Amino acid sequence: MPGVSSDSARGALVPLSPESPAAAVYPLRHGLKSPISRLSISWSRGNSLRVSVFAAPSSDGSVNDGDGGKVVEVKLGGGDGEISEAHWRRIAYGSVSPFALLQSRKNAVFSLSKFSMNSSPYDGDWWDYIMEYSKDINALLVNQKSASVPVLDDPKSVITKGEEPTSLKAAWELLEMFYAEKPSHSWLPERLVDWLADYDSLFSGTHPTVHSKLVDFQKELVNLQVVEDDPKYWEVMSSALAVGWLNIVVKMLRLHGSYRLDQLSNRETENGLVEAVAVLISKMPRMRLEHEAGKLGECYKAKPDFVKAWEKWRGQINKLDSSAFWFQCAHQQTREGLRSMLQIMLGNANSLCSATYNWIELYISHFLYMRPLTVGLESMYSLAQKSIQLKPMASAHRLMGLIIGILGENTEVVLAECLKGFGPWMVAHAIELLTAGSDHAEMLLHEERQNLGGISIEELHRLVYAQVLSSFPLTWQIAPIYLISCMKHGMVLLQRLLSKQPVQDNQLLLKSIEICRLYELHSVTSNIMKIAGVHHWKHGRKGSGVFWLQQARDEYRLNRIALQLFDSVGKTISDESFKQWEGLIQLLGSDSKTAGGLEFLHKYRDFKKSLRQIHDGKATDSARQAVESLISVHIISYNLLLQVTIILSKIITRANIVM
Amino acid sequence: MAFAESQNPLRVHRIPQSRYIDAVRWLSPVSPSDRFAAIAYFDADTNSPSIEIAYVDPNPQSSSPTLTPQSSWTSPSRISSLKTAHSTPQPLLAAATFSGSLHILASDLINGGVMESEATVSELGFHSGPVSAVDLREGGTECVSVGEDGRVNLVSFVGDSSKLSYRRIFDANGLVGYTAVKWASPSEFATGGYGFGIQWWDQRTSGGPVLQFKGNWCQGKTSGIVHSIDIHPSRKHTCLAGGSSGTVFAWDRRAAQQPIVLSGAGTGEAPNSLLSESEVWEVQYDRYTRRSNISNISSTRILPVMICSEDGILAVIEQGKQFLKHNYYELDRTIAKVETYIKRSHC
Repeated sequence: MPGVSSDSARGALVPLSPESPAAAVYPLRHGLKSPISRLSISWSRGNSLRVSVFAAPSSDGSVNDGDGGKVVEVKLGGGDGEISEAHWRRIAYGSVSPFALLQSRKNAVFSLSKFSMNSSPYDGDWWDYIMEYSKDINALLVNQKSASVPVLDDPKSVITKGEEPTSLKAAWELLEMFYAEKPSHSWLPERLVDWLADYDSLFSGTHPTVHSKLVDFQKELVNLQVVEDDPKYWEVMSSALAVGWLNIVVKMLRLHGSYRLDQLSNRETENGLVEAVAVLISKMPRMRLEHEAGKLGECYKAKPDFVKAWEKWRGQINKLDSSAFWFQCAHQQTREGLRSMLQIMLGNANSLCSATYNWIELYISHFLYMRPLTVGLESMYSLAQKSIQLKPMASAHRLMGLIIGILGENTEVVLAECLKGFGPWMVAHAIELLTAGSDHAEMLLHEERQNLGGISIEELHRLVYAQVLSSFPLTWQIAPIYLISCMKHGMVLLQRLLSKQPVQDNQLLLKSIEICRLYELHSVTSNIMKIAGVHHWKHGRKGSGVFWLQQARDEYRLNRIALQLFDSVGKTISDESFKQWEGLIQLLGSDSKTAGGLEFLHKYRDFKKSLRQIHDGKATDSARQAVESLISVHIISYNLLLQVTIILSKIITRANIVM
Repeated sequence: MAFAESQNPLRVHRIPQSRYIDAVRWLSPVSPSDRFAAIAYFDADTNSPSIEIAYVDPNPQSSSPTLTPQSSWTSPSRISSLKTAHSTPQPLLAAATFSGSLHILASDLINGGVMESEATVSELGFHSGPVSAVDLREGGTECVSVGEDGRVNLVSFVGDSSKLSYRRIFDANGLVGYTAVKWASPSEFATGGYGFGIQWWDQRTSGGPVLQFKGNWCQGKTSGIVHSIDIHPSRKHTCLAGGSSGTVFAWDRRAAQQPIVLSGAGTGEAPNSLLSESEVWEVQYDRYTRRSNISNISSTRILPVMICSEDGILAVIEQGKQFLKHNYYELDRTIAKVETYIKRSHC
């Protein structure tokens, strides 16, 4: 297959690869009994495909059930399996105001920095704004489906079921962690430990995980009488220890049979060992600012304090490991299980490898027990690569790809993973975090590229997202906010979006006009109003039509309408039908300028009024004035002139009679 | 719901729904603690419009009230206008659709709010095109419907039976379009349309509106569409209207053809306070905030008015001054049809 030439920017056709996968085929149920004779396909909004199916009319002319035709709407695209359509719309709507707020703050900061001597426009406040933006969006990603089950303190429940995590939230937190948090606050390895604790379950679908093993064991736990006999008990505890879920480990340890009151007397040594290990675990030093309340481990902020505590802790473990009590421990599984846990705590590479199930868990365990002082993305990245070598990925997972991209400081990979795994919403909003957190990313994303038509990658993704929003009837109204933030093409696309909205629906029409008003798009407004006016006019709603054309100040069309009305008025001057015209005349008002050629209707009405006065025997002066003004109208049809003449002659004869 | 002497601080409660909300009305309570609402939904994912009766549970423990759906009725097309008549325990609902049909529903609030379609008018000649607005008379035996096709129909139905008859009061053949309607008395009602025009109709006089109002608006600049009319039972000579460009005005039939502008660009002479610049969807007299001297207000002054607008403003306007509250009211009979995008498709 020939490679794509380098001047593909000019729009050369890309040949189809012969190795492309076979097309997917979906059956369509239409419910018609007769065979189909015609088929029509058209696209409507969003991902909807409309297929019209027509059955052949039966040969004998009879109409049967199942004849005729059907229009079926096919919706393509699965979307994110974890998040429902309704939740996506909520996320889309909810992220509008944080985005808009951030843009306005950005503009304010930039305009200020033009005046000040400051080289960098970003100061302390800027990080706060980014964090606020990130937190606002994070709050939207909470899963609605999580059942709020009251958590009873069941001594036998190892894992508490909180809210169901979603990959989207996990991905957002990763980006927040690496890009949005102020550099001075990054205890990144520990943050990753916490992250894995929340989101390990997401990998359970495609990879083996500690979380899934725990869940399985939890089910068996109910039936177990003697926990310490089950080898799984010890395996699961080691795994949980390896990834740093200390609370779970200690809780499980305390389930050990030696704690039971009736056993305490004859299993004293065993219990002592178990308790000793539990205490060591709960005193594990951690290089982090602080823990959540109730979490085990001791926190150290400064490196020297930590190192001292670490050495001491390791010393204690070694002492326990080499103590004589192990020989006195009768229960074999307990002895072996506890000792393997001690090996994990001592940072034995083989133990860590066998206790963890995928490379991320192995990676975390290295941070906890082998290299707690790792700083810098480069060393984190090389460590990640080593972990992947030791535990290769069975299949690609979108979160894993994202992590590798972030650690490798590869902005393009991060963007590609976000787009592929999470969609245009993610990219459009995550770019804000990327540009804040990494100078290299900012340069890359803000650079104007010729191959994209002179816009930056940031603008491109915002336009793509706005396009996605515009194609759905429920979300098109928020697309303008994203379009406005695109410097080069935003306004033009916004005008096109508004011009393409249908005018049949009054609500949509008013909404479009409202948006035009907000963004001062006067030409689009008048165009929309003209189209609406002509549409209403053609469908028999003459009053509405005239109103919209007046709003649009469309003199040309109003004059054309005047000509049409003229003819119909000329034919029917009866009093009853004139009542119908009253309303239209009211609408036109008394100002002749915008009424266009329809001013004659006013004069005609005045003329009719004065006619009535004459019938009642009142003054002829006003009648004469009315006639004069009526005739002074520039356009007057022959028909009308004839009728006016007839009436005038009647008036004159009557007046003569009166006089 | 009684108010304490000191004004209760009004609280905002957002109850997001995953479908379009075309209309919302409170139903009159069976007992002081019950509150039912009728909500017209449109599910854009499945293209199915419906009306649901939901029980609004104030739920003082949690932070916001909950909506518990009681019953649902599928409509043939999207609801364009929904009004209720308060006759407990079977409040009546009149629902008008975009396809030009009118449905009268009765809901039995005591037995779980089950809705039954009492009667339907869906003949071809009823309205051509969507029905713009309907209004049910208190007591609920008559309903007037208006449309942009210029037709004004009066639908009468007898309580239990499905017998429903309608007569055409007026047909402007499209030369005028009506967009709002409100009963004033058993034989009179007011309609509103384009160019901020209001028409007063009396059933005893046939052949068109008895009175027409069209003030001297600066042409084009402030002209607009009337979206909603309200008439206070103690002041039947005054029509209150709200419409485009944030305009809220009142027309006193006894006075000349001068509107009393409560909010909006006005007639150009005195720049009034501009509360909102977008469409005012609903106006209603504020019947629930207790004011000590309400009976002393002269009949020429306009009583306090509640409005809700496209740009998300809920406010109370008093002639001469204004209160601005961005809160949702927890009052019964409040029209909560806030056509902002927040309520519309929040999921």
